[in-house]
Amino acid sequence: MASPLTIAAPSAPEVAAPAIGPSRTPRTNGERGLAGKIVGYLGILLTVAVILVPLYFIVITSLKTQPDIYRDPITWWPNPLAPENYSYVGEHVSFGKYFRNSVIITAVLTVVKVTLGVLSAYALSFLRFPGRTLVFFLVIASLMVPNQITIISNYSLVAQWGWRNTFAGIIVPLAGVAFGTFLMRNHFLSLPKEIIEAARMDGAGFGRMLFRVVLPMSWPTLVAFTLITIVNEWNEYLWPFLMSDTDKVAPLPIGLTFLQNNEGLTNWGPVMAGTVLASIPILIVFLVLQKQMIKGLTAGAVKG
Amino acid sequence: MSLSRRSFLTWAGATASVAALGGLSACAGTGGSAAGQEGDGTIKFWSNHPAKSKDVEQKIIDAWNAANPKTPVQLIDGGANYEELAQKFNAALTGGQLPDVIVASDVNWFNFALNGATAPLDDLWTKAGVKPDTYVDTLREDYKLNGKHFAMPYARSTNLMYLDNAIFEKAGLDPKVGPATWQQFAEWAPSIRKANGGKPVLAIPDGSNYLDWYFQGMIWTFGGHYSRDWTATFTDPKSIEAGKFLQDQVKQGNIAVSNDAVNQFATGGASALLESTGSLTGLTASAKTPFTTAYLPGPKPGAATGGAGLSVPAGISEDRKLNAVKFIDFLTNTQNTITFTQATGYMPVRKDAEADPAEKMYLEQHPNATTAIRQLNENTQPQDAARVFVQGGGKRIGAALDRITIGGEDVATVFAQLQDETQKIIDRDIKPKLSN
Repeated sequence: MASPLTIAAPSAPEVAAPAIGPSRTPRTNGERGLAGKIVGYLGILLTVAVILVPLYFIVITSLKTQPDIYRDPITWWPNPLAPENYSYVGEHVSFGKYFRNSVIITAVLTVVKVTLGVLSAYALSFLRFPGRTLVFFLVIASLMVPNQITIISNYSLVAQWGWRNTFAGIIVPLAGVAFGTFLMRNHFLSLPKEIIEAARMDGAGFGRMLFRVVLPMSWPTLVAFTLITIVNEWNEYLWPFLMSDTDKVAPLPIGLTFLQNNEGLTNWGPVMAGTVLASIPILIVFLVLQKQMIKGLTAGAVKG
Repeated sequence: MSLSRRSFLTWAGATASVAALGGLSACAGTGGSAAGQEGDGTIKFWSNHPAKSKDVEQKIIDAWNAANPKTPVQLIDGGANYEELAQKFNAALTGGQLPDVIVASDVNWFNFALNGATAPLDDLWTKAGVKPDTYVDTLREDYKLNGKHFAMPYARSTNLMYLDNAIFEKAGLDPKVGPATWQQFAEWAPSIRKANGGKPVLAIPDGSNYLDWYFQGMIWTFGGHYSRDWTATFTDPKSIEAGKFLQDQVKQGNIAVSNDAVNQFATGGASALLESTGSLTGLTASAKTPFTTAYLPGPKPGAATGGAGLSVPAGISEDRKLNAVKFIDFLTNTQNTITFTQATGYMPVRKDAEADPAEKMYLEQHPNATTAIRQLNENTQPQDAARVFVQGGGKRIGAALDRITIGGEDVATVFAQLQDETQKIIDRDIKPKLSN
């Protein structure tokens, strides 16, 4: 999972905070503020450096020529600039096709997973039916089974249906959402009972309850869940690799492996260029959703 | 995004599932129905495109398709390397939709054959009119098990020593003549190191990049072996001596065990390199300075053959098998093996390739490519069973060699563990299945 990004932003202030904490208390407010600020900013800078330096290296390596990548001591700026790494990716890998496949697989899976997750969580937290706890435990149990175990049985089933090298074959077996159900259910249960009851008494049906009452109070969790799903599916490798045969359905992570050489020399410039290109969409999605996440956090449902 | 971390996770998963599949493939292979799977009329060729050969593979396939419109070949991306391809094939064994032709590396073909996942080819050769004698004998015989052949040579290589011309001349040595023995290498090393500003003399890929394959030649020159017949011989005093020599050379800074050895050499970070012949074309295009290829140090034989062959799954119908073998015959015929090897650096697999006038001219102009072919006849022998035939053997030995070189652990201890593990697997998994 390409989590550095998802973890990066929220964690920055947290890491900075302890740095402020132990600063001496008996000072006056102004002094303390200044010293604290300096320590805080240093903390932030350090955190940002730890996160950004590797990313920075991926970006500059994607613009370096091969001898430049291996120059000793390392160079911090590409010299000469080698933007041809990017055109190399386009020429040697059918980037457009892999990209399209990645978008299709990620989009469909995200929609399906989020929908299933929300609906099943709703059922498990607000509806009363026999065996509810049992169903929930089954969902949890399925979280415990390692991926690698189910892959074998999934494979034989899907291959028998003749679904190899199709989008259905890649998407359907990945669409199960134990994690989403678990996450959303626990969040739904944490919502104030009073609001739910009030809505019930006002005669809110299923749709109104979900879209007008429950979900508006759940945006941050829902957005976080969506984001995790998108990043996960975008980077999914093992299953699509087993299922796909050609660039008809294979997603980007598989396409990018063709930039590496099986035996012998790999030119890392184009590999990094491909990596950068592959991560840009996720970056955009993250920036867009991050705003929503904060909006959700600040827009409280209970006033006063 | 963090591709490397991602692929690491994938590897962790891959390793686990390959281990899990190991047992399953046996059932799937031997239990194959008598009729065999019918296909959709196309020959599915799963390849990992050794040495970035996708374009040249497709070119040869296009020629086949033009001549055989009824049985066209479809080139399928089987994975980023030999191990991924084996994993994908293992998965297919459990669930059907088998391919027609797969690339099987030196360490993978045997386990497929032993478990009945790939078909014996001798009868098919007769039916398809393939003449096995036209293949280079040693390369063909590499794929023999219980008296039958289970693969046909394709992207075959040996290890080569690549020498940086300028540095060797600066050190007063002739780059045309590599060190005759590893002892001579050790003698030369200080002056070569001096000529290259103290940088290590020889870069060797690490354990996850087949150090076990390169070290095999070295262990032979010391009189040691990974195994003899079906007995592991890591604890043989001569094997341990070779391990100690490697460890000592790494300690002295003469040998660098590197996770990216080719690039280290190509960018001047080392004066020499042990690599596959398959790297030749790529290196020629990208190395900073001119280089010469040399034999691995002797006494002979001091180099292992390796690379990959082509196998046919056992679970497909007889017709499909026959067409598959015909296609392999075409893919590796004299003309195509020349085209393929010139594009990659691998060795031609047919005897008469060397007599071809165009190839003769090519070899005269490219003496570096000739070294591999000459070395094949003079300085190689088939690999030890402990590496290529024992399940996970290459990986196991590679990890142990990493421990003694990068980790600096005691050679005798590490090799003793290796001995135990290897012998256990041979006795348990392999011996019961051998017919003679």
